[in-house]
Amino acid sequence: MSNLPKSALECRDVTVKFGGVTALSGVSVASATSRIHAVVGQNGAGKTTFARVTAGLVSPTTGAVDVMGREIRTGHVGESRAAGVELVHQSFALPPSFTVAEAMEFGATGKGGIYSRKGLAAKWRAHLAGLDVQVDLNRRIRDLPIETQQGIEIARALVTDARVLILDEPTAVLSPTGIEMLFARVRRLKERGVTVILILHKIREVLGIADSVTVLRGGRKVEGPLDIAEVSAERLANLIVGDAVAKTLGPQDRSALVGTSTASGEEAARPDRVGGPAVLSMRSVSTRADGEGIALDGIDLEIRPGEIVGIAGVEGNGQKTLVRAISALADLSDGTIGLAGHDVTAQPLATRRAVGLRIIPFERNVEGLSLTSSLWQNWSARELLQGSLLKVIRPAAIREACDRSLKQWSVHYHSCGQRAGSLSGGNAQKVIFAREVDAEAKLIIAAQPTRGLDIGATAFVWQALRQARDRGAAILLISSDLDELFDISDRVVVMLSGRINGEFRAPFDIASVGAAMTGAAARAHA
Amino acid sequence: MKDSLNTVVRSLIFVALALALCAVVFQFAGYNAPVMLWAVLDGAFLRSGAIEQSLRWALPLFITAVGVSISFRAGFFNIGAQGQFYVGAICAAFAAEVFKGGPALLVIPALLISGMAGGALWALWPGLLRLRSGTDEVITTLMGNFLAGLLLVYVTSGPLKDPSGSGQQASSRPLDAAYRLSNSLGLSPTIIAIAVIVGIAIWLLVNRTAFGVLASLAGRNGTMVEWQGARLWKLGLSSFLISGALAGLAGTIEFMGPNGRIASGFLPAHGFTAILIALVANLSVVGTAVASIFFGGLASAALYLPIMAGLPAAAIDIINAAIALFITARSKLIDKVLRLGGPAQ
Repeated sequence: MSNLPKSALECRDVTVKFGGVTALSGVSVASATSRIHAVVGQNGAGKTTFARVTAGLVSPTTGAVDVMGREIRTGHVGESRAAGVELVHQSFALPPSFTVAEAMEFGATGKGGIYSRKGLAAKWRAHLAGLDVQVDLNRRIRDLPIETQQGIEIARALVTDARVLILDEPTAVLSPTGIEMLFARVRRLKERGVTVILILHKIREVLGIADSVTVLRGGRKVEGPLDIAEVSAERLANLIVGDAVAKTLGPQDRSALVGTSTASGEEAARPDRVGGPAVLSMRSVSTRADGEGIALDGIDLEIRPGEIVGIAGVEGNGQKTLVRAISALADLSDGTIGLAGHDVTAQPLATRRAVGLRIIPFERNVEGLSLTSSLWQNWSARELLQGSLLKVIRPAAIREACDRSLKQWSVHYHSCGQRAGSLSGGNAQKVIFAREVDAEAKLIIAAQPTRGLDIGATAFVWQALRQARDRGAAILLISSDLDELFDISDRVVVMLSGRINGEFRAPFDIASVGAAMTGAAARAHA
Repeated sequence: MKDSLNTVVRSLIFVALALALCAVVFQFAGYNAPVMLWAVLDGAFLRSGAIEQSLRWALPLFITAVGVSISFRAGFFNIGAQGQFYVGAICAAFAAEVFKGGPALLVIPALLISGMAGGALWALWPGLLRLRSGTDEVITTLMGNFLAGLLLVYVTSGPLKDPSGSGQQASSRPLDAAYRLSNSLGLSPTIIAIAVIVGIAIWLLVNRTAFGVLASLAGRNGTMVEWQGARLWKLGLSSFLISGALAGLAGTIEFMGPNGRIASGFLPAHGFTAILIALVANLSVVGTAVASIFFGGLASAALYLPIMAGLPAAAIDIINAAIALFITARSKLIDKVLRLGGPAQ
């Protein structure tokens, strides 16, 4: 790396194997001091594994890690931290019941001992203020907005004299405004001499913040480090998805996948396709608080046949409750829900499914599949529930039907008897689609349907949703990926604090959607 | 098929390991281990009449164990088989008082049904508590065992007391010979027929009905089945009730067959052995049948050990406990050692 003066962090030829799976293969990444270096790639490219190797959480099969020019012992968190490497995880690790001060004290040092709440607060106030984290130190972590939690995570990582800070997918949970705040914070850290490694998967974000970039694909390094001034968005996109895949994708999908789209919308206006009475009509629906998420507060929502309505919003603003309310899994305190012409307000989920409700739930491995059960059992659950519990079944016939269906959905599997947990995320999602998307489906709820999927599976999911829409199904798509929403939605509805805070039609304006997500422009577009 | 074969092989390995461990322990305790193991085998299956004797213990155990496996499959750790077994026997004994003098053809089914109803009743309240308010069924069913045990003491020394009893152990009045399902040896065509019918019915329920598939899904991941629109309480409560009814049936068979009466504290380990059997069989019906014969053999050998190997009958309890330990521990550690499981994560 002759063009870089001195590396703050250098991974040399790192290979990581988990059993028979190679997560990283001969990857070298280097970043100069006091720079912001982005590591990009799709899901499954090996970004997180790379981060975990440098933080000492994963021991590489071969390869070495240098920090500030000195080689460190790999696979030891203590070693990495002593050398000044800190990692902020994708999912936050702060104990939700701790106060900010407690989280700082015990997260940073891991020591016990006697303390007073006041003493702790005094001890950490200056540190947090120095990093521009404005927060009452006696509030509990769980009560804080996600941006603040992330700020505290970063502050905690910087308690020791960290020289290299790795942020793993820090933007995934943030609203557009939150991302701006994060980037400002990262730039300030850079000014203080910290080298920041950002794990990202959106090109727009890379170009907006990074000084240099390394691209990973399928566990290998494709290019890098590249100076950000030398790469275009187009080139980066091709590097990320690979030329072969790039050719198979439509321009819309490709730009949505890598985040270069400027919200053009799905073939802008096709009102002719959308028609007929509403499949879903929610009238001032409110739910009772139940500890499983924020309650709905007067939701009015209609979806017509042949329409994809996207729900945008910072996670935790009632999206999950919305899905649970439509699925009869949350208690309504007010309002009515109509489904395919039936008033189903008081009807259980079984009845709603019988009139055409289908759900691709948030948590694929918890709500979608029973991982320790066989594929055919998972696949047949919906149909088995349609009749009497004592209905006689012929497993052999179900297995055959399951085989046919899974083949149709091009699931890669060995036999219908294998456990659902043995499939990859994309194939597992396809099994759920095979179960949920049938000819009788009238309303399909797709909650974060592409989360954690690779590019092929993601494109597959989008195609499946579009096909279902073209057949006349109504689709409710919940996603925290705005590019995804803008790409395939006919309409985008923004949720904030259990309410609908704005509705947008293509062409979508990311700034005003983002503003609605954070409440800056309440009802400006309603 | 390969899966279930794997399971059987695995379970057999654990049982063998447990026996080996016991042999070592007994050897160190001053007994002759080879003689002991031989005595177990001989007492269980080889000596004349041993098979019949083993079946006498195996059949009621099978009925209870198959019931236990139903609730375990549905994800409910109903460890109250012992209590349900007792309450079933108590209800049948009360019914015997009520129907005394009736024609056997009517009374016998009535008693069997009363026993099953009693067992189901003793599973109903923990089931309701669990499904309505989330009370841990392990605690409630376990408490239920003690309550049922005390109830048994009460009825055998109170309402159902046999006044001519010796006083050593309180027991109920003997059942009319006309209503008995077997003599005191405890094996008869009727009992075999009941066990076979239960086995086939439960096998069909588990493998050939929507209930079987859905209950198994619910047991492994209740959330997923809920998102499919199932009413978990329906699946759960029926599993609880079936499991209780079968334990009650086994209690009734003990009452109407070999014992002919109920005595306070009779067969105090029946329900727990049945749980062990269900676990060894990995909840499969066929596996439960095989395991029941094995544990029936152990039960029958227990009576024979003091004579043959000079061992206390409690040695069988130690063997049972060792098997329980190994079966519980099998999930992670031993699977890895034996490389029978999949690759480690």
